Amino acid sequence: MLTGFTRKFRPLKIVSDEEIESIHRGGLYVLEKTGMRIEHDRALKLFAENDCRVDFDEKRVRIPAWLAEKCVRQVPSSFVVTARDGESDLMIGGDTFYFMQGMGMRYVDLDTWETRQATIREHKEAMIVADALDNCHLADAVFAYTELDGVPPVMTFLETLASGLRYSGKAQQYGYQKDCEIFAIKMAKALGVNLNPELDTASPLSLYGGSVEAAFRYVEADIPIQPCVGVAMGGEGPMTTSSVMVMASATIMGWAVLTQLIKPGAPISIQFGLKPMDMQRGNPLFASVVNSMTTVMMNQLLRKYQIPSCTSAGFTSLSKKIDYQCGYEKAMGTLISALSGGHLHIFQGGSTAELMYNPVLSILDDDIAGWIGTFLQGVNVNDETLAIDLINQVGPIPGHFLGTAHTREWWQKENFFPKVADQEAYPVWVKSGKRDALDLAKDRMQEILATHTPKPLTSDQEQAIKDILQEAREYYRERGMISDDEWSVYMNALEAAG
Amino acid sequence: MGKELLEKLQKAIKEFDTQAAENLTKQAMQEKMDPIQVLDALTDAIREVGDGFGKGELFLPELVGAANAMQKATPILEEEIKKSGARRESAGRVVIGSVHGDMHNIGKTMVCTLLTADGFEVIDLGINVETGQFIAAVIEHDANIVAMSALLTTTAQEQKNVIEALKAEGLRDSVKIMVGGGAISESFAESIGADGYDPTAPGAVELARKFIGK
Repeated sequence: MLTGFTRKFRPLKIVSDEEIESIHRGGLYVLEKTGMRIEHDRALKLFAENDCRVDFDEKRVRIPAWLAEKCVRQVPSSFVVTARDGESDLMIGGDTFYFMQGMGMRYVDLDTWETRQATIREHKEAMIVADALDNCHLADAVFAYTELDGVPPVMTFLETLASGLRYSGKAQQYGYQKDCEIFAIKMAKALGVNLNPELDTASPLSLYGGSVEAAFRYVEADIPIQPCVGVAMGGEGPMTTSSVMVMASATIMGWAVLTQLIKPGAPISIQFGLKPMDMQRGNPLFASVVNSMTTVMMNQLLRKYQIPSCTSAGFTSLSKKIDYQCGYEKAMGTLISALSGGHLHIFQGGSTAELMYNPVLSILDDDIAGWIGTFLQGVNVNDETLAIDLINQVGPIPGHFLGTAHTREWWQKENFFPKVADQEAYPVWVKSGKRDALDLAKDRMQEILATHTPKPLTSDQEQAIKDILQEAREYYRERGMISDDEWSVYMNALEAAG
Repeated sequence: MGKELLEKLQKAIKEFDTQAAENLTKQAMQEKMDPIQVLDALTDAIREVGDGFGKGELFLPELVGAANAMQKATPILEEEIKKSGARRESAGRVVIGSVHGDMHNIGKTMVCTLLTADGFEVIDLGINVETGQFIAAVIEHDANIVAMSALLTTTAQEQKNVIEALKAEGLRDSVKIMVGGGAISESFAESIGADGYDPTAPGAVELARKFIGK
């Protein structure tokens, strides 16, 4: 199992427990009075059979407070995301926290800063790099490039999942799309992994049919799911941090009730991003200070519910480049999220509001993750670390500590050493070509690709993946969801990728 | 009297007063004012709001607030126009909706508002719109443009389904198709056979103007 990082001190709060309780009460009231719109007939029937008031015409479910609270209590406080090699399993919950590969639809060129569809080969490289990163604990193959050149959209998730399973031994995050979960579950069972798929919520207070159908499929297959509560405040949700928290509380409890009615004890975690809408451009203000405020409050609320959290506070930046803005927006959001007790942090590699991904950025982000993780592990205060006798022994100048056993023993233990930050002295930096962190990260990527070999699949596992992919291709082709033209381009793309 | 009422109506739009917009429109109809003239006045008011938005002087809450007020007034006027058998000149008719499976509303609302402000007749089919509803609306309203929104990668492909259905119904060549939403890119739009894509609401209006040669 990967132990990730452990927060050694109490999590940051920005509101009191009593204020969190007010938010929870508000959520209960909204859920009982207004309820949620749920676009799924089987789910509506299930709610109706379990004491909820259901209006089948309006697809509206009103959930009594006692049932909501009962189901929240029933959600496990921890669960395991399994990796194919067993050694990289993650135990989500408690004071442990992990970093997860980030997301972006398209590949960004680091010279022109223009985006384009990634190739199958580039996806493979992104996964190999993610596999090599020390602080990337959960891979996210399907969201590191959601568009692949030559691959029909209905096959993209499955092709990227297969690529992730082939080129990374780490546990994988997944999603859902147009029945692809049927084949993803088959891959998961064949490799003994459980995928931790994220499912969308439509705000305000609504669940998509496709998302709910995927929830049934995954929960019934004993796969933990991660409902995602994403809200643009002022648009999809109310404007103030407290009010959007009330709505989020109702939504979280709605998901808890659905999953626990499908299967009592089903593990879930909640992914969230509650951020203000840019009232000039209509875009969500990822990485804004309000996003960090809601992140802390959500972590507080989820701690009350004892439901693991997955935060997106620093998962992206609005910058179009890998630059100063990108660095501070991603670092501040993620640091605050980790300080406040988030369990899983979507992070390495994505930027530009979910638009772009690049493995070079994942390498830079991995240094930030290491910095944050090391900071939260805190310090040990004991006889050895206090070293009072040593201070007395060395005494004033000309005494020094450089040659002491204590320095040799400790100099690496409490600090974090970034792999690609420029820490050279100025004259050395000038002589060596004035190279910055981005240059060093590009070098590091080439080094990883030249030297890192992910643990390979067994031949049986590889065959299983090939068979399932082929079955999926035929499934979509028979249903007219891959045209003849797309098929031809697709086959060429697969051949070109080898 | 008529002029004063029209000014009050325009003020109601610009001050986002939905109740006043509805009441004053009803009053105008009771006073037998020309519904087309009233609608033109309302369009002028929302265009002013749209211009303010374009200049960065007003923001989305104001834009959508004005659109909400306008939406209270327009059904009353359209009903009267229909009764009279007249037809209002518009820049073009746009059938718009968030595709099946997608319940996102915000981006589409922005586009609807700015298109209306620009003189387009907008037929908003809402969210989670089935392919058949797009087809039926294109036929019923003799649309010039079909505009589709999808925020999720999981629903983006529905845009392609609508385009294929338009082809199957022999309607593809009679409409221009624009697509947008968080999950859409220029290359995706091209790959599904759309005529245009823009990531912003003002850009969508520019695209619509281009489509109709305005």
